[in-house]
Amino acid sequence: MKGWWWKLLSVVLLLYVVIVGLGTPLGPALVHVSIDRIAPGPNSMEATGYNTHFATNAPEVWLENDGQRVCAMEVKVLSDVQFAAEFNVPEGFRTNLTSLWAWDAQDGQVVLREAFFTQGLGTGIGQDDCVVSDAARTSFAFPNRSILNETIRNLFFHVPMWFTMMVLMTIAFWQSLRVLRTGDLDADRMALSAVDVSLLFAALGLVTGSIWARATWGDWWTSDPKLNGAAVTVLIYAAYLILRGSVPDPHKRARLAAIYNIFAYVLMMVFIMVLPRLTDSLHPGSGGNPAFNQYDLDSTLRAVFYPAVLGWILLGIWAYTLHQRTARLRSIHDEANDR
Amino acid sequence: MMKLTIVKPLTLVMAFLALPMSTFAASSAPSWLQETMFASGKINTVVMVVSVVLIGIAIWMFALDRRLGKLERRAKEQTNAGQH
Repeated sequence: MKGWWWKLLSVVLLLYVVIVGLGTPLGPALVHVSIDRIAPGPNSMEATGYNTHFATNAPEVWLENDGQRVCAMEVKVLSDVQFAAEFNVPEGFRTNLTSLWAWDAQDGQVVLREAFFTQGLGTGIGQDDCVVSDAARTSFAFPNRSILNETIRNLFFHVPMWFTMMVLMTIAFWQSLRVLRTGDLDADRMALSAVDVSLLFAALGLVTGSIWARATWGDWWTSDPKLNGAAVTVLIYAAYLILRGSVPDPHKRARLAAIYNIFAYVLMMVFIMVLPRLTDSLHPGSGGNPAFNQYDLDSTLRAVFYPAVLGWILLGIWAYTLHQRTARLRSIHDEANDR
Repeated sequence: MMKLTIVKPLTLVMAFLALPMSTFAASSAPSWLQETMFASGKINTVVMVVSVVLIGIAIWMFALDRRLGKLERRAKEQTNAGQH
């Protein structure tokens, strides 16, 4: 790519990603309730919210079980993120898991799903005259998913690493095709540079993913098809570097490396894009479901995620051009020395 | 000469780091950050992830810097050898 505008664009985009991606608040949520089972009769509980505004906007509070609602008899707000509620639970809820809901004018509806194990089941409560508000929240905030919570921001710093890696490997693939067509050693050098930089982004993707997995899945590494596929891809490309080191003749090395690289690219596609989708996986974008649309990627996340992907890819290409120019300088020097 | 050029940006950086810290010390009420982002404890994961990315890119930049430096030295040696 010519010119400098795209380098500036990548910096501006990444600056936007850091500021908006870390500065945007997480949406409100109910995160904890003091009791975990309810029985027919009076039940009192204290619930804790996150980024909620109960003190400034008195909340409505209710229970929901299989579509049937019971409103709280009394709600006492303790703070912006805490309220105490008293329920008179009737006999006859249909399912054994009941959810706790709250609504206030600023936060909209928040819910703690399957909050209570329910006793005194029956065929349904006779009367359900609890009317609730459903006006939505209007503020700009990221979705507050359970377990993920604040870590949802990692979306802008983990996923684009892999996208960048794949773009760089595509460049390497293209340059390898050029090597086979023309036998050009310049193309071979460019392929090597692209693989080198792509491995940097692969390493960053692996480490950031590992940290994220520790926080959400509870382990640094799980034997998951997506994770293992990514690790195998890194090994395949590391072998590309080793293969190059073992062939002294530059022309022979260029052709051999190009052929290997084309196979490596296809294997990378299979290991990262195909195999994880054929089996079940903890990782989003696996188990038959593409990551987009399905996985909670709402419009607020998209507003940061797409710029993040473009910004990181441009930064990766920038790093590749720097690496490639350095390598060219070195080859010019080496040729001058040989003469 | 070398020392002077390093000291000036360093003091600048220190000043920028000290600025927000003094405002933290002044306010006794928990800040917006403490109340929201750090309340869950999970923001630390994001801090770690962003740090890893920055450190990784920084290491890469230093490696490239060294490679270029070597080339520059070699170019210098060659021109010196050519003059003699």
